[in-house]
Amino acid sequence: MLKTVLLNRATIVLGTLAVAIIVWNIYIAGNDDGILVGTVVDVSGQPVTDAKVVASELSLISRNVIDIQTTDETGQFRFDRHDHHAMVLQATKDGVGNSRRVEVRLYYQNQNKTLSDALVLDPDVKQGPLVSEQSGSN
Amino acid sequence: MKSKSYIGTHITLIAVAFLMLVPIYWVVKTSLTGENIFAYPPAMLPVDPHPFFYVDAWYFIPFSRFFLNSVIVATMAIIANLIINALAGYALTKAFPGKRWVILLLLSSMMIPFHATIIPAYLITRDLGLLNTHLGLALPAFSHIVLIFVFKASFDAIPPSLIDAARIDGLSEWRIIYKIMLPLSLPAIATNIILSFIWSWNDFLWPLLIVRDVEMHTLPLGLSAFLSYFESTTGSLYAFAVMVLAPGMLVFILAQRQFVRSMTSGATKG
Repeated sequence: MLKTVLLNRATIVLGTLAVAIIVWNIYIAGNDDGILVGTVVDVSGQPVTDAKVVASELSLISRNVIDIQTTDETGQFRFDRHDHHAMVLQATKDGVGNSRRVEVRLYYQNQNKTLSDALVLDPDVKQGPLVSEQSGSN
Repeated sequence: MKSKSYIGTHITLIAVAFLMLVPIYWVVKTSLTGENIFAYPPAMLPVDPHPFFYVDAWYFIPFSRFFLNSVIVATMAIIANLIINALAGYALTKAFPGKRWVILLLLSSMMIPFHATIIPAYLITRDLGLLNTHLGLALPAFSHIVLIFVFKASFDAIPPSLIDAARIDGLSEWRIIYKIMLPLSLPAIATNIILSFIWSWNDFLWPLLIVRDVEMHTLPLGLSAFLSYFESTTGSLYAFAVMVLAPGMLVFILAQRQFVRSMTSGATKG
């Protein structure tokens, strides 16, 4: 009887789904610090120090600024505890240029991610309307 | 000649199946690409598919809360349907005074659309204090007349001698239903589960009437609210639609063998 119930295809399918959901939630619990790391470079590929990187909310109806960070001496920036699943990043530095707006899509809120492509500062790119001189609203 | 009609039948069935599946394929494809549905020519294959519209749908609306509400309502409807319909179906297999009129009354009631009785249903639900509650959402779906007759047809197929033997052994009517009738009516049980689940899961009008808080929304209600708030969000909208449809399709696929057996069980009698 127990074997019949366990080998029933409804049990197998629903059991597999339940296991997959549990495993996925365990993975999320171990990787949800909200750390977003990336690099800013110029058109020649050299890292840019003290570039301002603005993270804006990417939602259906708003583009509010989440946080603003500055790159370090290696051109890296880091956002902590971003608490979003979709963002728009744009970097800027006076005298160097602006980067294109880059959409960052995550599989869940607070997902830790290291951007594979650097934000490239280009003097020909105009600064987007979402970049604010004020501090971030995080 | 025989093989020609065989091939022709299969070609026709494949063409019709293709026509039936194209809308589902289109919804799933658009949920993965978010392409403009008015684009011409339309892209038949998904271009740059990604699952992030499903992530958007999950976070932009309280999907887990809506899903839980739908699960609670559907579970209550399924359990109530199994109990009430089985008991009613068993009663209709017995001979009693006025049985013919009872069956006539039930059959004629099936012709009255739910929309015609929605006002008294709302007033009764309000007087019972069940507005904006899970029980109020599930109450109209506690029994369906067509499913009563599904059980009746299944119980009629069981030899009366089996029931008589059970009575001689001292079983009560309740135990006869539980120990003999129901185990021999698995296709009818599967049909009840599938149809009561699908009808309660996809119900939109009744939740629209009695739900007051966003927290009590079911998935179809949430989908319509999502559509009205965010009109130009094709990818997220279609992803939400797929997430609403998926459980119903899964339940049907898992139980379709029993369902088909129930539908065709009387076809080869005699």
